[in-house]
Amino acid sequence: MRQTIQWTIILGITGFLLSGCATKTTNIDMNNDRGEAVMGLDYRDFQGAAQDMIKSLISSGAVSKKDGSRYVLAVSRVVNDTMQHIDTDQLVKKIRVGLLRSGKVVVTTAVGAKGAEDKMAMKTRKELRGNEEFDQKTVAGKGRMIAPDLSLSGKILQRNIRVDSSTQRVEYYFQMSLTDIKTGLAFWEDERVIGKRGSNKSVAW
Amino acid sequence: MKLIGLTVFVIFILTGCSKSVEPDSSIVKVIDGCGNSDINIIDIKGLKKADGFMQAQVIGENSSNSYQVLEYRVVWLDKDGFKIESILSKWNRVPAYENQPFHINAISPSTRAKTFRLYIKRDKEVICDKQYNGQ
Repeated sequence: MRQTIQWTIILGITGFLLSGCATKTTNIDMNNDRGEAVMGLDYRDFQGAAQDMIKSLISSGAVSKKDGSRYVLAVSRVVNDTMQHIDTDQLVKKIRVGLLRSGKVVVTTAVGAKGAEDKMAMKTRKELRGNEEFDQKTVAGKGRMIAPDLSLSGKILQRNIRVDSSTQRVEYYFQMSLTDIKTGLAFWEDERVIGKRGSNKSVAW
Repeated sequence: MKLIGLTVFVIFILTGCSKSVEPDSSIVKVIDGCGNSDINIIDIKGLKKADGFMQAQVIGENSSNSYQVLEYRVVWLDKDGFKIESILSKWNRVPAYENQPFHINAISPSTRAKTFRLYIKRDKEVICDKQYNGQ
């Protein structure tokens, strides 16, 4: 009887204490995140890749027009060829913002690989033009849109390599190209590779 | 006796359970001079390119006998001394091989940059904080 009571108390205390072990939710300090790396791609990987791509683009001089004016850039397709569900805008948006802030490039949202990125720009033109309800002086006229000079495209690849029975290596390749639309020539290209080594039990998707 | 054994077992389980989700954010230590540790800055230069962007090159030396991964960031300032916000000012990594020089190359995020400030850290400790004023 005495032993039963002892066991009950011990198990009760253990259960109580273990419940206090649940991982607490905290906000990540995005400027100094010392958290463990993950096998999948996280925001630090996209940030690093975007940083390298912007640095490479600006250093190459491919976005600097000789007359000092700005290039008009259209964002083409960035293919996600990984096993993860990635919105490639996690990478592309950072590059766009960086290029826009450089003062050398302006991005068009009226042209894209899958049609206009901002449908409203095109829609309002078509719907408001000739509509008597609107002051036609305030409606965008025909031939006012600017065609893009450059197109940004890319691909994100993943390769899983089994190292031994307990370890795997995952390689991610970020590849980007900047094409001159008039000539079809790639003015700039670059690649960044991220490698991760971890347990075979970790799932990289 | 059994009770002691069980208590030890419970403590053992609990210590294994402690998980630091957020690393300890200790106060960053700043050392001036960039020459007080085994990481020394030998040369720092900036160049205004023809397209208006500023290019920076820093040469340092790892005088230790071990390979180190350093983190650096370059903060770009405009002519009035205001910081230019950019993803290019986030922390980046540079390898420093034992007893060898290392190079940091950076490009300004915009043509407004006039000067820059360089920070190098190893883990949480800032070991170098140097400003280039275009001289």
